[in-house]
Amino acid sequence: MIHRSYLFARGWRSATPVLLLLPGFLLYLVMAVGPSLATAVYSFTDATGIRGIAVNWIGFENYEEFLFRGAASRDNIAALRRTVYFCFFVTVIQFGIGLLFAVLLNQKIRGKKFFRTLFFMPVILGVAIQGLIWKLFLLPRGGPASEFFQLFGWTSELLGGQPRQAFAWVIVVQIWANAGITMVIFLAGMQTIPEELYEAARIDGAGKWQLFRNVTWPLLTPAVNTNLLLNIIGSLQAWQLFLVLIGYRPGTQVLGYLVFAEGFGQTSGSVASAFRQGYAAAASIALFVLVLVFALVTHAWLSRREKRYIG
Amino acid sequence: MTVIDAPQEPRATQAPTAGRGSRPEPPGWLAWLKRQKLASYVVLLVFTVLYIGPLLMLVTTAFKTLPEFFQNPTGMPESFRFENFTEAWNEAQFPRYLVNSVVYTTVATAVCVVTSVLVAFPIARGYLRGGRYVLLLYVIALFLPPALIPQFQLILNLGLFNTRLGYILLFLVNPIGIIILVNYIKAIPRELDESAAIDGCGYYRFVFKIIVPLIRPAIATVTVLHAIGLWNELVLAIIYLTNDDLYPVTRGLIAFEGLYGANWPPMAAAVLILMTPMVVLFLFLQRYIVSGLTAGAVKG
Repeated sequence: MIHRSYLFARGWRSATPVLLLLPGFLLYLVMAVGPSLATAVYSFTDATGIRGIAVNWIGFENYEEFLFRGAASRDNIAALRRTVYFCFFVTVIQFGIGLLFAVLLNQKIRGKKFFRTLFFMPVILGVAIQGLIWKLFLLPRGGPASEFFQLFGWTSELLGGQPRQAFAWVIVVQIWANAGITMVIFLAGMQTIPEELYEAARIDGAGKWQLFRNVTWPLLTPAVNTNLLLNIIGSLQAWQLFLVLIGYRPGTQVLGYLVFAEGFGQTSGSVASAFRQGYAAAASIALFVLVLVFALVTHAWLSRREKRYIG
Repeated sequence: MTVIDAPQEPRATQAPTAGRGSRPEPPGWLAWLKRQKLASYVVLLVFTVLYIGPLLMLVTTAFKTLPEFFQNPTGMPESFRFENFTEAWNEAQFPRYLVNSVVYTTVATAVCVVTSVLVAFPIARGYLRGGRYVLLLYVIALFLPPALIPQFQLILNLGLFNTRLGYILLFLVNPIGIIILVNYIKAIPRELDESAAIDGCGYYRFVFKIIVPLIRPAIATVTVLHAIGLWNELVLAIIYLTNDDLYPVTRGLIAFEGLYGANWPPMAAAVLILMTPMVVLFLFLQRYIVSGLTAGAVKG
């Protein structure tokens, strides 16, 4: 077990590091890796969330039902499509806003610290507080957002309105809540760019746009990669703000919420509905495949792009 | 869009508006370009409104009476009354929720951090045969399917559903924490191990008396990161805890919302009560939170 480079006491006492490592490692296997892999197994069963009820192997039944059977499968496909939309809008806008914040706050500017803190703060509040704050702000009648839109003669029920509108507002809150992470990752990346490069470019007569285009942007590649991947993976899996802001409403569900709702009996809003955990496991494998495909494609695209810059 | 500050213009950090000392103002669009900082401020202020607006609404609502709120949701409160805060505090059992949250967070974070250090150290040092593969197992965790359903079955069959222990069990591992610790420990010179071993220092004592104090920044980062995630957890609290006595604050807040519905003033007060300590802590621990989130993100 122990490597020969081990420096401390030999003999029976060299078991110490292994013994001390085991609790953490076993916990990891039992609580994380094991269940993670078991998701695939459960997706072929009719498991319920009730203790003592026999679990039967039903093959591809869950997948078949999820993808091909009746009205429910059409809803599932719609949820899948919606997940991709959500991912697209959140990723693109959050990436843009995060980059904008970082660029603006990487200058010598007054109140820099204040702005950084303000934009980052929502990140630490958690979905319950984030969601409730915006639920209040988006109060349909007389709330600040609704009053603002009235100025333009636009009346809307906001979160309570058409599914599309409610969905769009969740995108807004999701970005509000997480743009701070994108910003700090970009800022950390910008801090690794040596000042001399800007000096040299400036001597060559580069303007501010050219400095950004030809110095900052290419050297920001690692942060760009991290942010893109984090945003894509994160937003494909995000659904908790839907729970707090609008609940399980037809026409707004995304895959992650579907897994939770089917698996833990929240589909009808009452606790009494069935826990279809085998089915939910199949749905979560579908989500996993989606995430994996997106992550791999993005990764491949990013490494091609990186090669272009490095040469 | 300004990228970086031009050092030739040291005054640029001063007032962003017109009139920069004795320098003559260039004409037309050039003048605009020179004042790009102004554009920066305008953009920042627009976003500041978007970021502060919801918080402001929360604060003003928390001080209103219900009729006042219905009459004029967006205006300023007539007076600063604290009844909503006392109501939220007393009616919603927030003291109990807070105790629960503190218990879950401290116990789980403590266990997680201690076990993580003991996993990370031998891996980082290469003291473990096959340690590289153990580390790999932690790295790929980020790409494994969600564990939600089998984890539930496990806790259920252990008879730990709806118990404190069962809930804590869900938060004892943190793969990202292991990776942060391993990277940090690698930067500590191996000679330290050698001299300690020569002096007859045991492994256990070495890790806790020498290594732990040296990697305190990384430990702080992992602690803060793990504790925040756990404190804010809502979904697992919904899934695993059905007994109101066991709720952490997040779950309690949603339960409170279910009871109070449109009665926003005490709701807002409750949110504010729970938010304030988070914000204060954040102001002190910002450095660790940010370093945890950006760990390894920009190295390429």
